[in-house]
Amino acid sequence: MVSDPTAGTPAGAGQDGDGGALDAAETLRLIREQQERARDATGPDGRLLFGAWGLAWLIGYLAMWTTARTAGLPAAWAGWVFAGCIVGAMVFTIVHSVTRTAGVRGVSARIGAMYGWTWFLAFLGLGVLLGAMGRAGAEPEIMAIAANGFAALITGLLYIAGGMLFEEYRMSAVGGWMLVTAVVAAFAGMPHTYLVMALAGGGGFLAMAVVEHVLRRRRRSTSARTEGGVRSA
Amino acid sequence: MPEDLDPVIHAPARLRVVASLAALGRGDELAFPKLRALLDMTAGNLSTHLRKLEDAGYVQVTKTHEGRMPATYLALTDKGRTAFADYQAALMDLLKGAQ
Repeated sequence: MVSDPTAGTPAGAGQDGDGGALDAAETLRLIREQQERARDATGPDGRLLFGAWGLAWLIGYLAMWTTARTAGLPAAWAGWVFAGCIVGAMVFTIVHSVTRTAGVRGVSARIGAMYGWTWFLAFLGLGVLLGAMGRAGAEPEIMAIAANGFAALITGLLYIAGGMLFEEYRMSAVGGWMLVTAVVAAFAGMPHTYLVMALAGGGGFLAMAVVEHVLRRRRRSTSARTEGGVRSA
Repeated sequence: MPEDLDPVIHAPARLRVVASLAALGRGDELAFPKLRALLDMTAGNLSTHLRKLEDAGYVQVTKTHEGRMPATYLALTDKGRTAFADYQAALMDLLKGAQ
């Protein structure tokens, strides 16, 4: 079945024992659609992950900011709201990524697992570090600046690293933005450091979720248009 | 011209198998049930096409165990990846020729 004598129609239509004839444009469209489906089924959806973290930072840090603005320090309930948001986004990220990548094994699964553990270890390290600073007598304002600045710094660096690992350069761009956020949040001082984290940090993630969504829709409509044009030509 | 199109790939079902596996990174494998669900094919039908792709050296089939359950993983070989790239290039040539 190496060369098929019945295949002689124009525009690449070929007969095959296992299926009907396909023309070149139709075949290319089929390939693109199938690959898009395969990527959706085997990798996390950037829109959902950016969206979850954007909401978590926005709501969590806004709760910290509003109470710190009136009382000087964030209220205990705001701390719980913040912790709940972060834990929620974390659980969502893990469940979503594990579900999507189930059934894939090999290099990317190993890299993905190492990447996930790096996040865990980095923030565990940050928690211990902040604990040590508190024990050494650091003022609440210093603690707040350190917590926000380092959190944004770690997030920024890991996003840049993720962009390099997965060749998703928009991810690196978000990482760069988070480094800017870290610096601005550190200089904003109390209580506005929380507002910077909410708006620049959370807002940055949410903006990226929108960008991902727009790019995705544009990619789909462009490929549909291109092939429509070729087919009618 | 159509004889430029690889007959192993140029069957809709096998084309979708190859396109799906090519969407994975090099060095990645996909579990049989996941591929089957992705393609919406019956297990028997998919097995038949996979055998043809394996015979051509395009797909590597790895049989293993996960716990006590047998598991099958599929990956595109380098030869398969090259054949798929050539196939797409041939299609693009046909498109340019048609315009």
